[in-house]
Amino acid sequence: MHIPDGFLDPWVAGLFWLGAGVAIGVAGRRARDELGDERTPLLGVVAAGIFAAQMLNWPIPGGTSAHFVGGAFAGILLGPSLGILAMTAVVTIQALVFGDGGIVALGGNLFAMAVVDVLVGYALFRAFRRVHETGAAFAAGWGAITVSALAVGVGVGLSSAFAYELRVTVPIMVGGHALLGTIEGAITAAVYGYVANARPDLVLGRIDDDSVPPEVGL
Amino acid sequence: MNVLVSDSWVRRALLVLLVLVVLAPVFGWASGAVGYAEPLENAAHETGAADAATPSTPGPLPDYSVPGLGAPFGTLVSAAVGTGLTLAVALGAGRLLER
Repeated sequence: MHIPDGFLDPWVAGLFWLGAGVAIGVAGRRARDELGDERTPLLGVVAAGIFAAQMLNWPIPGGTSAHFVGGAFAGILLGPSLGILAMTAVVTIQALVFGDGGIVALGGNLFAMAVVDVLVGYALFRAFRRVHETGAAFAAGWGAITVSALAVGVGVGLSSAFAYELRVTVPIMVGGHALLGTIEGAITAAVYGYVANARPDLVLGRIDDDSVPPEVGL
Repeated sequence: MNVLVSDSWVRRALLVLLVLVVLAPVFGWASGAVGYAEPLENAAHETGAADAATPSTPGPLPDYSVPGLGAPFGTLVSAAVGTGLTLAVALGAGRLLER
């Protein structure tokens, strides 16, 4: 899913940067009220856990492999604002320290994995959690990664390196990740189930109000 | 930071992080054994974009390896450094944003 440099035309990369920048900026502002002595460590631990989980490439017979991306999981567990910040830390460190995803393309990778994956995952979870909580977590993981893949497919498909072959890039990205997304959904649902069972109070995405209330206490 | 270590959920979470880090070289070996291709790479092949990738900076630990160190250890070090760094950056950003 990580876009390397050279794949995106400058205007596409610029638009991705703009979209990612606005969303991360809003998330940073909203996060001010949500952070506290329990949620700040939670933000750190979830971000670190997603980085570590992304390193686990699940081999799939037939010559492909997939790793958990985790944006939807971050959105469910942390809510949209902190979820975006956690994924921003992960994707930025991957690009700067490990060369995973380009620097010019970082805006695109942030837009897909730190913004779209988080927000779509959060929205799907909120929409379906009253029907079935674990099922909603699965749908969030699966649906969000598929929509993120659509964003990447459109971005590269509008670029000259891919010969403007939108009709090729979009089906491959969406089809491929819709298939691999079942793993994303399963891991999201499994880990969500565990955390929601052990510490339901830590799952910020379950809070009924649309905005996470400030942390109280101390 | 005392709050961080004494909280039971944080301690359990840190243990989970450690397990994930130790698992990274195992998964690295297994996915290397079946070969590695993502849909984006397939799309690049189909449209002739595969050669367009121009890494502008490989980073200090390129492709989750340590220059001069073999695969399992390089992956292990990369997982440990990356996980620790992400924890530190996210915690630091969170603390800075707190009011």
